[in-house]
Amino acid sequence: MSDFSNRTKGELILEIKNMNKSFGPVTALKNVDLNLYRGDVLGLIGENGSGKSTVSSIAAGMQKADSGEMTFLGKKWSPTSMINALENGIGMIVQESGTIAGITVAENIFLGNLNQFSRFGFINKKELYKRANDVLRQIGIDNIDSSMIMGSLDFQSRKLVEIAKVIMKEPEVLIVDETTTALSQNGRKILYGIVDRFRKENRAVIFISHDLDEIMEVCDTLTVLRDGNIIRTFKKEEFDPDQIRLSMIGRELEGDYYRSDYEHVYGEKVTISLQNATVNGHMYNINLEAHEGEILGIGGLSHCGMHTLGKVLFGAVKLDEGEALVDGEKIKNEIFATKKKIGYVSKDRDNESLVLSASVKDNISIAGLDIFSIGNFLVLYSKENEYVKKQIDSLSIKCSDSGQIVQTLSGGNKQKVVFGKWIGCGSEILVLDCPTRGVDVGVKQAMYQLMVQLKQEGKTIIIISEELPELMGMSDRLIIMKNGRIEKEFLRSKDLSDAEIIGYMI
Amino acid sequence: MEELASRNKIKFDKYRLKKLVIALLPLVALIALFVAYLIILNANDYNVSMNLKTLLNQSIVLILVATGAIFIFTLGQFDISLGANTLFAAVIGTLAYKASGNIFVLFLVCIVVAVACSLLNAVIASIFHLPMFVTTIAMLSVLTALATFLIQSEGTASGTSFSITLPSNLVNDLSAIDTPAFKISVVVIFMVLMIFIFNFTKVGRKMKFLGGNQNCAKLTGISVSLFGIIAFALAGLGAGLGSSMTVVYAHTVSTTTASSIGMSVFIAIVFGGMPINGGARSRIYSALIGGISYNLMTNILFILFQSMQGVRDGLVQVISGIFFLAIVFVASINYRSKNLPR
Repeated sequence: MSDFSNRTKGELILEIKNMNKSFGPVTALKNVDLNLYRGDVLGLIGENGSGKSTVSSIAAGMQKADSGEMTFLGKKWSPTSMINALENGIGMIVQESGTIAGITVAENIFLGNLNQFSRFGFINKKELYKRANDVLRQIGIDNIDSSMIMGSLDFQSRKLVEIAKVIMKEPEVLIVDETTTALSQNGRKILYGIVDRFRKENRAVIFISHDLDEIMEVCDTLTVLRDGNIIRTFKKEEFDPDQIRLSMIGRELEGDYYRSDYEHVYGEKVTISLQNATVNGHMYNINLEAHEGEILGIGGLSHCGMHTLGKVLFGAVKLDEGEALVDGEKIKNEIFATKKKIGYVSKDRDNESLVLSASVKDNISIAGLDIFSIGNFLVLYSKENEYVKKQIDSLSIKCSDSGQIVQTLSGGNKQKVVFGKWIGCGSEILVLDCPTRGVDVGVKQAMYQLMVQLKQEGKTIIIISEELPELMGMSDRLIIMKNGRIEKEFLRSKDLSDAEIIGYMI
Repeated sequence: MEELASRNKIKFDKYRLKKLVIALLPLVALIALFVAYLIILNANDYNVSMNLKTLLNQSIVLILVATGAIFIFTLGQFDISLGANTLFAAVIGTLAYKASGNIFVLFLVCIVVAVACSLLNAVIASIFHLPMFVTTIAMLSVLTALATFLIQSEGTASGTSFSITLPSNLVNDLSAIDTPAFKISVVVIFMVLMIFIFNFTKVGRKMKFLGGNQNCAKLTGISVSLFGIIAFALAGLGAGLGSSMTVVYAHTVSTTTASSIGMSVFIAIVFGGMPINGGARSRIYSALIGGISYNLMTNILFILFQSMQGVRDGLVQVISGIFFLAIVFVASINYRSKNLPR
């Protein structure tokens, strides 16, 4: 690392000029200019596919621009890889998991630098684990042991390790790409603390998020991107949610964002329920019922057991005690759940809800094969194409055609594909674990409106989320979990306050 | 803006061209290898017609076994026991044919034995929750040992090697079907059936999805065990047909019959354009193109290194291995380029 002891606030640290980038037929960046100054936390905001991750990942060495120039610390900047960029002062925490599952936490943290622990060709593991634990503790992560295998950690813990891995190198520019949605309140506190330290030390941060409230709180300036173009840069004193939204989507948001009503109205018929459901180490004696036409919200801190509960409702996690029932029948496994028209959207979208190497068509049609096949065997291509097109059109999925590989879609469009998969096949019960994670405001609104529509059609929707405004804005009933148990149940009401709910979460 | 639009159009055309080139590359390689083979045969005064017949016989067996194996590879699995399975089925089929004198019995027994052995792999893996690859290693040893025992106890010795050879009357009966027309018909019918299952049925679609992401497939209600069993059964069908055709053209079974087919199948289908990790982009025709290309390549190498008798086999294997690595590397570059964030 270079000596960066003389840091002057306001000094230009990173300059991007006239940058262009395309992925095959899709243009991701068009003549983008971006300046980053010392002591500044620059927010990047825009709809999914607007180019936020592309521009920042180019600066962080993940990929090359097609054209354009970058200058970092007054010199031409052309990193050969993310490791090269990090070693030279720009580190990035990526949107999806940037760690390796099969090795230890410590090996992930010191990946590429393990030689410093080598003695006569053997790694001194004791020293490695100690140093890695020190790194974790320094940024406030005290519940992860560095000798653990990365793959055994949950999504949030993996993300925290990734943060530690980048911060350990003390980069001059830190890029945080849509990270907070993977973190609980405590994890976010850790990350905000790091961002604040970078600001005080006159380094710089590029902060990417879809959460307008968060980005306005954390950032000093805010640049809006749309369709690969820079639309406008706002200074802190110019921050105005309506103006920012308008810049992002290029039009006024029409209709309601969350539900406009404050009624908790739903059918009498219980569609899915848990009776004394226990999964040792995750959730205990859970009793709940969801009804026809009901949106049931489940909230709490990340480790409260709600994500396990979602998988139990889909038959993907076996109960140690108790029962999960759908229409009065025991939910045996995922196959049974799909036969009973239950759909499940995982929080870990890329690993559990999509086949990234497959096309939009393959991902959407897989759950609806029964609908467009003859004799439960032969797939009819023409009917399949119609089926897929209907989902692409109704959900406004941005793709070149149904054959586009899902990997190349933006986060929000990937999530729409997952929704299309389950809605198209006529799911009667939808278990949605963090359904709007990494999704921009326009897509979020469309998803909320879709949930209302599904509720009106009599479907049961169970939203598991760490976003309280979302739960309060959408749920007929809201169940708060803490330490694997149901702590409190709230009915939809105008008077419901987040302060009251948070009190039961922590 | 016009300049940008024009630049994007060029990029789009380049992207489509790249996709087309990648898709056609295995076919181009096949044609190039075939032309090279003909040139080398002529240049060395080999009997072209006889060598093409040998190529056909070699390729027929490899294509049949590889076509069935595509289903296993699509799931991201690997069956190293396919060669041993083909050998064992051929041994039992030959013994049954010798006992009955009925060609139909030869085919039936070969297929039933190969499917049963293949299914055993999947069922054991399913019951004991083992990776399927692990059970195929065990099956490789067991089937090879059983086949060797049967060949030594039922066959005749020639020097240090043993083989089971068909009597001349049965060989005469087989000559009726030992024709290119029959063999090609078997391959065509089998491939059409497999392409149909792979692309036009729910079974094939679910297998491809499962191969793309097992976690996601499970959370979409697809049974990993069931489709593993179906894939192994179809691979067994390919191995059964392959073993029948081996007996049809060779009239004898020895311990070296189909000995290297397990590895050859893997190399061949990757050669034919199959993604190394299986999944949605798997294609049945990879078995056809790869099966012929692989045999063309090894035959060319054998001719080129004919003067190096002592080390020829090893050298051919080393070069085949290097070719394989090069293909996997090129395929992985293509895969990585599709994994960029947006």
